[in-house]
Amino acid sequence: MNSAIFGKAMKQDTTNLSFSHPINRRRALQKAGMGLGALGLTSLLHEEGLLNAAVNPLAPNRPHFGGKAKSVIWIFVNGGPSHVDTWDYKPELERRNGQTLDGFDRFTGFFANAVGGLMQSPFKFNRQGQCGKHVSEIFPHLGRHVDKMAFIHSGHTESNNHSPALFMMNCGLPRMGYPCAGSWITYGLGSTSRDLPSFVVMSDPLGRGLPKGHAANWGAGFLPSVFQGTHFRPKGDPIDNLHRPSVQDDAQQRRQLDLLAKLNRKDLAKRPYEEELAARIESFELAYRMQTAAPDALDLKEEPEHLKKLYGLDIKKSTHFAAQCMMARRLVERGTRFIQIYSGGMANQRSWDGHSDIKGNHTGFAQETDKPIAGLLADLEQRGMLDETLVVWAGEFGRLPVAQKGGKPGRDHNPHCFSAWMAGGGIKGGVSYGESDEIGHKAAVNKVHVNDFHATILHLLGLNHETLTYRYGGRDFRLTDVAGDVIRDIIA
Amino acid sequence: MNNIKRLHPICWLFIGCLSLHSAREDSPRDFDSIRTNHWSWKGLQDPKPPKVKAQHRVRNDIDRFIISKLESEGLGLSEEADANTLNRRTHFDLVGLPPGTVDLPENSNLIDGLMSSPHYGERWARHWLDVARYAESHGFEQDYDRPHAYHFRDFVIQALNNDMPFDQFARWQLAGDEIAPDNHLAMMATGFLGAGVFPTQLTEKEFESARYDELDDMANTTGMAFLGLSIGCARCHDHKFDPITIKEYYQFVSTFGLTIRSEIDIPIPMPDGNQKQEKWRIEKERLSKELSTFERDELPKRFLAWAQEPPKDASGITDWLTLGDIQPKSLDGSKFSHQGDGSFIVGGPNPANDRWVLTAKVNLQQITALRIEALTDKSMRHNGPGRAGNGNFALSDIRVYAKRTGEGGKGKVVKLVNPRADHQQNTSNLSVASSIDNDKRKSGWAIDGQIGKPHLAVFEFAQPLVFKGASVLTIEMDFFVNTSHTIGRPRFSISSHPAPPLKGKSKDQALATLLKAVGKPGTLENLSQDRIKELEKHYRTLDAKWLELNGKIDRHESNKPVAKKVKVMVSSEGYKPLKHHADGRGYPHFYKETHLLDRGDPNLKKEIVNSSFLPLLLRNGKQSSHWQKTAPNNARTSHRRKAMAEWLTDLENGAGHVVARVIANRLWQHHFGQGLVKTPNDFGNQGEKPSHPELLDWLANRLIENDWRLKPMHKLILDSSTWRQSSRQVEGKDKRDGSLLACYPTRRLEGEVLRDSILAVSGRLDRTLYGKGTLNEASVRRSIYFQIKRSRLIPCMQLFDAPEPLVSQGRRISTTIAPQALLFMNGPHIRKCAEEFTKTLTQKDPLIAAYEKALGRKPEIEEEQTSRVFLEQQAKAYKAAGQNNPEQLALTDLAQTLFALNEFSYIR
Repeated sequence: MNSAIFGKAMKQDTTNLSFSHPINRRRALQKAGMGLGALGLTSLLHEEGLLNAAVNPLAPNRPHFGGKAKSVIWIFVNGGPSHVDTWDYKPELERRNGQTLDGFDRFTGFFANAVGGLMQSPFKFNRQGQCGKHVSEIFPHLGRHVDKMAFIHSGHTESNNHSPALFMMNCGLPRMGYPCAGSWITYGLGSTSRDLPSFVVMSDPLGRGLPKGHAANWGAGFLPSVFQGTHFRPKGDPIDNLHRPSVQDDAQQRRQLDLLAKLNRKDLAKRPYEEELAARIESFELAYRMQTAAPDALDLKEEPEHLKKLYGLDIKKSTHFAAQCMMARRLVERGTRFIQIYSGGMANQRSWDGHSDIKGNHTGFAQETDKPIAGLLADLEQRGMLDETLVVWAGEFGRLPVAQKGGKPGRDHNPHCFSAWMAGGGIKGGVSYGESDEIGHKAAVNKVHVNDFHATILHLLGLNHETLTYRYGGRDFRLTDVAGDVIRDIIA
Repeated sequence: MNNIKRLHPICWLFIGCLSLHSAREDSPRDFDSIRTNHWSWKGLQDPKPPKVKAQHRVRNDIDRFIISKLESEGLGLSEEADANTLNRRTHFDLVGLPPGTVDLPENSNLIDGLMSSPHYGERWARHWLDVARYAESHGFEQDYDRPHAYHFRDFVIQALNNDMPFDQFARWQLAGDEIAPDNHLAMMATGFLGAGVFPTQLTEKEFESARYDELDDMANTTGMAFLGLSIGCARCHDHKFDPITIKEYYQFVSTFGLTIRSEIDIPIPMPDGNQKQEKWRIEKERLSKELSTFERDELPKRFLAWAQEPPKDASGITDWLTLGDIQPKSLDGSKFSHQGDGSFIVGGPNPANDRWVLTAKVNLQQITALRIEALTDKSMRHNGPGRAGNGNFALSDIRVYAKRTGEGGKGKVVKLVNPRADHQQNTSNLSVASSIDNDKRKSGWAIDGQIGKPHLAVFEFAQPLVFKGASVLTIEMDFFVNTSHTIGRPRFSISSHPAPPLKGKSKDQALATLLKAVGKPGTLENLSQDRIKELEKHYRTLDAKWLELNGKIDRHESNKPVAKKVKVMVSSEGYKPLKHHADGRGYPHFYKETHLLDRGDPNLKKEIVNSSFLPLLLRNGKQSSHWQKTAPNNARTSHRRKAMAEWLTDLENGAGHVVARVIANRLWQHHFGQGLVKTPNDFGNQGEKPSHPELLDWLANRLIENDWRLKPMHKLILDSSTWRQSSRQVEGKDKRDGSLLACYPTRRLEGEVLRDSILAVSGRLDRTLYGKGTLNEASVRRSIYFQIKRSRLIPCMQLFDAPEPLVSQGRRISTTIAPQALLFMNGPHIRKCAEEFTKTLTQKDPLIAAYEKALGRKPEIEEEQTSRVFLEQQAKAYKAAGQNNPEQLALTDLAQTLFALNEFSYIR
């Protein structure tokens, strides 16, 4: 029953990942333990070989080459943050404030009938760090970390509409149904987590909903569903079925599992060549451990007060996001490979989607996230984890330099330009790559397509985006479709 | 970063099949040789099953192909699996429920019994729904529900349960609205095309690209599902591996150019429904009672009186014996009403296509010919003799089978020769001879030119049938040539005359039988009661009163009210489009013209293209126009898809042979866990080659022979030693990928089957068929009735690898992960089932009963001991913890453990 799909991947050693290096596999297993579902026991019991890897798609896997990053924390700035109000300082907008933008295609954004004149940022920009980066006043804490960050100012995407643009940013195509970056990475590298999911998604816990397109943003598309993101429920238990039946205590459940193991092993003795059966026996032991491991990973009780303060856990406005950032760090410590935290929920005022009142909108969401992300960067650095942890700050598109008319002016969607930054995980700090035009309307210099963005993330993890492929429907698919260049200038 | 988007340079890295592409449009491609050189495109072979050494393991020809290859590797089949394992395997394969939870009809064998259960359709529909990327919401950001999309799922279940021929199944999904617009199932079937995702919120800039994405989804899913071809790869450039150019892609896509999703009201017959139906049912009961009272109280007396003074056999020498007591059945809803002259008046809805199956018990020693009369009647337009609007009919195919009474099945095929008729519409495609030619669908006897007159046709038997004692004739008649062209008042006769005259005299079989038995007054008293009862059945078709009462029921049956109309999501043309978020922005839903798009980019429009089909699969010099007939004058739609559907399933000149291979492979896959071709959606150059190409073709041929029906194929496969062998692996045997089949491949049950099985053994399964689904995980209906909302997929299904319904999925992978174990340990629904399960264990020894119920076997001694010790210790622990029902809790823990056993979760 091992999948032909994997069989296929293995055959093409040159273009696909190889599961078949026993020595590396053994080392990886000894070092890193097993994945969430990863059924390492069989692999340890038997000789490593093709079949084992096929049985356990989540087995840790050798990257294509040495990549610095081992994990990714992607702060998804949901709704489309305005680059000209955050990281892309545009003095020209101040000079031309209120002027009509000649030749502007009013269908660029979502609301073709609310196009106003050019609008300067309501925020002050101050120089920060050694590199002297202009940073919006809404990020007083993040501003202190600009020397860790590599900024991209010339990002552009293919849709002016939330869900296609979200799919583009997550899956590399503006359509539904393709595997997201986290799934590709888990597919490529397997899991190093002993008893936690290797790909975790956290969404807004304040009842503002899920990002548009919902779970398709962390879906595995046509990849095996084992590679899809695990969405931690924002309230209550993060994942299903973590609590044993209320009538049972630990000893009773243990006894029940012992009975199960005993009966299953007796059965296994008659079918010694069916490795999957052994794997399934082990999966119950992993599950037993997960019951405590998962809540433990998310339990912040033991975290010292000064750290909680560093993340802004004590500030009402940012408590929720601070907690998520802190959990992300704890998950990375436990081997989780890819974590996405969505800032904000659905559209309009529930996320960074500042159609109206860009000032109020961005001020609010910055207050929620500025200190927590800064705290995360500082905490990762002081623990020596930042070198191996890539932190990404990006949303699905940017916003227009022209106003969206209304009582309090906002900004409409802009697929032609956005800003993003990365830090840690092999990134060169204090650099800015690419430029938008003088008003921030379109990416102008060293344009970065979403495919390039993804290629760079994969590269930092040691994966070649052109050879990380999966055969579906007669074609070898990639996260980067048919394009993508690694942005070498931002790599240390 | 300078990207040339939408060109796929990686494709060029592979050079394996560049030869296919050396010649493009400028120089015509030699499709004959391309087809000949690729296993899936060349014409079907009918390979002879090879000889094998292990002759004793051959149960049917399937085994010859499998064993032959095994023997060439020095291997053989494993021993036959034990009865218990086979019973379980048969259940899971056919109905997806464990033994003991499915009601089986008496006196049927297991395979037939399970296939006659409606659970069969539920099990096999799920396989097809994966292929059809079926879901009930739009996807994308709002993910609005499609509340009437579930009819497609119900169509699939019903089609499978009715054993609809697969070619028809395919045609209806592509063009049911054009082929049989009056048939609710055909309309429901079109949900296939519209099942894909669609963004409901669009900006103006996205209008066209979204529509082309949608067309791509239809074309690509059609290609993968039926042809194993990744047509979509040619969207941006000529296909790099398979011979499809970008132009051919857009021509193919153009077929769907006007097709959109709509919700329309369709009358769907329901078993119970509105008042009208109830009234009808009461009247039916009254009439039935009237008849049965008459049969009980009056008929014996009338028969007795008749037998006192039987009519003289005045018929003299007759050439024909009329089968007035033949039993007619229509597969498509026509109703037959007995007439006193041995004919039947056909009523009820007039289906677009109809198949009749008629069986008659016959007492003739020798049968040489069959005569079919098409009589006139005022029930038909122009008095018929056909039910078509102009009084015509067209009999596309007629088949006769014969067997001794008591034998199983339909019996042997009777070869028909020397067809004659008193009139035929022409001497070619509408001649009487064309009802028994190789074309079973498009040609057949019709009589236009002499409307309003009775007609008759005779088919002689190549060899006279000779039976000692009674025999059973089965006559199958297809009316597929033209829409709703059935005969309106048929009468059937047989002859033993060596050269039966067309218009020869006939007498009624019932009368003949009676005269033979009680032809002389007074003989009746000497017969047994059983014999008298039997003769009564013959007599009643001569009794005026019986005919009157029975006719009332038949007529009532014809007037059965159709249920109230039900809203159904269909894919068609010209209906009001399904409401859409972007309607306010003026989204047009479709564009009248389809352009070739350079690089797939709507901003790079090239010429307008018209619908045509893949030249790769146009054979014998035929062009698409061969299937593209001008739509009828009053046609509501363009009939582009109907033409495509006919091309797709055309075995002679179109793609039918590929369709047959693709579905034969899917059948094999779901019985063995992996197909003969391991890439079920890709039979092109990038797909895997078949492990047993001859067997694949052999199976495809058997499928076609069985009129594309799947049930005989299941039976064939399940009857093979290959399928019946043990799954126990032996070291060194077939350890590569299992494709040699040296043992039966074990596999984990799909999430649906696991869940349904647990519900079934614990007695909680709600077996309601069809209808709207639910998102509630606590539902106790079969899992196929979970509503599939793309943003809220059912967690416990996802956990067990149910694919995301976004693109066609031909094969599920199967993972073993810890969260699955967590579900077994802690899932509240499974715990609830374990509790309920223990309540069903009323036997003295619940432990033994639990094993039998859950696993279909008694525990082995060691298992029993271990389990007893567990029950004891666990009960003690619960007691110590202050629980007031410690034994019950311990037993529940045991039940839950049984559900979690590897043995429970695997098909072995």
